[in-house]
Amino acid sequence: MHIELWLYGPIAKYAGEKSRGSHAQLDLELPEGSTMQDLLDRIGLPSEEKGITFINGKLAALPGVDADRSVVLKDGDRVGISHRRSMWPFQYRFGANLTSEIQETFKERPDRGIHHAYSEPEAEE
Amino acid sequence: MGKILRLNMSDRTAKLEDVPEKYAHLGGRGLTSSIVHDEVDPLAHALGPNNKLVFAPGIVTGTAAPTSSRLSVGGKSPLTGGIKEANTGGRVPPTLAVMGIRALVVEGQPEEKGKYWMAHITWDSDKGEPKVEFLPADEYTGRDLYEVFPELFDRFGDKVNVMGIGVAGEYLYSNSGVVAEDMERRPSRYAGRGGLGAVMGSKGLKFMIFDRTGAPAVKLADSEQFQTGRKKLLDALMEHDITKPKGGLNSYGTAVLVNIVNEAGALPTRNFREGRFEGAAEIAGEAIFEGNKTRLAKELYNHACSPGCVIQCSNTWYNEEGEEIVSCIEYESTWALGANCGIDDLDTVGKLIRLCNAYGLDTIEAGTTIAVAMEGGLAEFGDGQKAIELMHEIGKGTPVGRILGAGTAEAAKVLGVVRAPVVKGQSMPAYEPRAIKGIGMTYAISTMGADHTSGYTIAPEILGVAGKVDQFDRDKAELVRNFQYATAFIDSTGHCLFIAFAILDIASGFEGVVEECNGVLGTSWTMDDVARIGKEVIQKELEFNHAAGLTTADDRLPEFMEYEPLPPHDVVWDVPEETLDAVFGD
Repeated sequence: MHIELWLYGPIAKYAGEKSRGSHAQLDLELPEGSTMQDLLDRIGLPSEEKGITFINGKLAALPGVDADRSVVLKDGDRVGISHRRSMWPFQYRFGANLTSEIQETFKERPDRGIHHAYSEPEAEE
Repeated sequence: MGKILRLNMSDRTAKLEDVPEKYAHLGGRGLTSSIVHDEVDPLAHALGPNNKLVFAPGIVTGTAAPTSSRLSVGGKSPLTGGIKEANTGGRVPPTLAVMGIRALVVEGQPEEKGKYWMAHITWDSDKGEPKVEFLPADEYTGRDLYEVFPELFDRFGDKVNVMGIGVAGEYLYSNSGVVAEDMERRPSRYAGRGGLGAVMGSKGLKFMIFDRTGAPAVKLADSEQFQTGRKKLLDALMEHDITKPKGGLNSYGTAVLVNIVNEAGALPTRNFREGRFEGAAEIAGEAIFEGNKTRLAKELYNHACSPGCVIQCSNTWYNEEGEEIVSCIEYESTWALGANCGIDDLDTVGKLIRLCNAYGLDTIEAGTTIAVAMEGGLAEFGDGQKAIELMHEIGKGTPVGRILGAGTAEAAKVLGVVRAPVVKGQSMPAYEPRAIKGIGMTYAISTMGADHTSGYTIAPEILGVAGKVDQFDRDKAELVRNFQYATAFIDSTGHCLFIAFAILDIASGFEGVVEECNGVLGTSWTMDDVARIGKEVIQKELEFNHAAGLTTADDRLPEFMEYEPLPPHDVVWDVPEETLDAVFGD
C-alpha cells in the first residue's frame, strides 16, 4: 500500500536522497497491515528523534505521549513526522483533530493532555 | 512607587502624578486597560482628541526577572472600536520601569494637523524624576524607519530607546503599529495589533526618545522572595524543551509552528480557503535554519529581542550574499505574508516583513489584507512581486494603499470580498478556527478581536481544570474563560507570554512568577489572586467594549466559516452561540 510521508527538520535525512534539507516528502510502499512502528523501522528513524506525529492531519503522538506505534496504516494515508524540537502548545491544539488512540491516551492521563510538552516521563501531579 | 507621566499633545506639556492607590498593584495590560477604562469615553472617536494612548511596563519589568522586558500599549482601537492592548518587547520596556514611569499617558491632540513632534524623556537627577522636552519631528516624517532609526541613535546617543510610528501611523492606518527598537537598534519590534500607531499619529506624536542615564534601579519590596521566585522561573525556562537554550524556540523560532499547523490541516491558506499550503515547508522555521546554514556556512541560533530574555527566539534571515534581509521572521508574519497569500518564497516573505517594519505596519493585518486584495482581484495569489508593489502603495499612501492600510475588514468591504476573516474588525491570525475549535472560541470572545495571544494556558491549577479537561466536550466555555484570565495576568506582569510554555508544565515556574510579583510589590499573592487579577482586567475590558457598543453579536466568527467546509478535514465552524456566550456570560 502507498503511504505519503512527510519529515520535518533534521530527521529529513532519513528520507535519503529525497531530503530537501529542512524537510522531505517520500512516497513509501508498505505491506498491507503495516503499523506506524513498521514505517519507522523501514526508514530507520530512531525513537529518540521522533517528534510530533500526524496521521491524515490528526495528531497521533507527541514526544512522551506515544500513542501511535501500533496504529495500522491504510493505503493512501498521509503521515507527517516532525523533529524533537518542534512544538504545538496546548492552546493552539485545543479542539483540533486527534486520532482515537491519542484521545484515549490523553483521557487516561491526570493532566488530560493539557501540557505543552511531555518529553520527560512525569511524576504524578 | 513610581509616577504616571502625562504628555498633553494639545499644548505640548508634560505632567507627573502620583500613582493612585487603586492602581498600586497594577502593571502592563492591567494598568493600560484600567486607565483606558477609567479615562476614555467608550464612544470617543479613536482618532479624535478624547482617546488616549497608554504605555505601561509590567509589574516585574526592569528587574532581574528573566524574560520580563515587555510593555503594554493601550487605547481605544480604530480597528475594532473597542479596547485594545498591544504588547511589545525590545530594549525600551525596562527603561520606563527604571525611570519610575509606571504609566505614560498621551492625551489631547494638536490643532495643527500633519505636524509631528517627538518627546525627549530624560532623567532629572536633582529632582529624581523624568523630564520631558518636545522637539519638532518634521525631518523624520514620511520616511523609511530603517533610515530614520540610525539617525535618531546618532543624534541622541546609542543608549537611548525609541518608540514611535512609521508612515502608516502618519496616514492614520488602522493597520499601523507602534514600533520599538530591538537589541541591534533595528525598527523591528511592534506593539502591532489594532491600529494604535494611528492613535499615536492622531496625536501628532512621531517618536518618544527615552534616556534613562542617571536613573536608579527598580526598588524591590522583598528581595528575598523576589530572588526565590526569579530562580524558580529561570530554572523552569532553562529546563523546558520549548524555552531552553538550543530548544525549540532558540533553534527555530516561533516559525517552528508552520510545519506542525500545516500538517494538522489548520494553516489558513489563500485567504482562509484551505488548511494546508503546499509550499509551507519552504517558509517554515526549519527552512530558515537550514537556509541560513547554507548561505552563511554555519548554524545560526536565535537571539533575544530584549534585555534579560533567556528564551531568545528571534531569528535573522540572510540572502545568498550573506546580507541581512530582515530580523525577524515570526510564525505569524511568515504565515500572513506567505501561506495566506499563497507565497512560498522566503526571500519574498522576508522582504514583505521588512517593508512592514519600514512603514510601521502590523504584519498580521498587512498579510491578511493583501490576501483579501488578492481575492478581490488586485493580484493573483502567490504573486510575490505584486504583493511587494501593493505594500509600497500602502507605504506611499496611494488611494489603493489607503484602502489596504485601513485593514482587512475595510479592504474586503471596498473590494466586495465576502470572505473577510475578521472578528470585531480585526483579522484572524495563523490558526484556522474551523480546524482548531478552541482557538476559534478565543477569536470569537476575546475583548481584543480575533487574537491568538489572549487565550494562553499557563497552569492547570489556576485554570481550575486539573483533572477535568476532556478534549472539547464539556466545560469548554469555562476553560476558555480561564485561559483569558490567566493570560491577562501574565500580560500584567511584564513577562513575555512565552514563559507560559514552561510554567504550564513546570508548576514551580509558575509559583516563581507569583513570588517575583510579591517581591516587587510587597503583596502576598497566591494562585487564587492570579485568577482574580486576570478576571478584574477582563471585566474592565468587557465593560468598556459594551459601553462602546459591542454586543454578543460581535462575539461571532464570520458567517462564511459556518457553511464553507475547510479542506483537508472538510470542517465548518459549528460551536454553538450558547457556548460562546457562556464564556463571559453570567
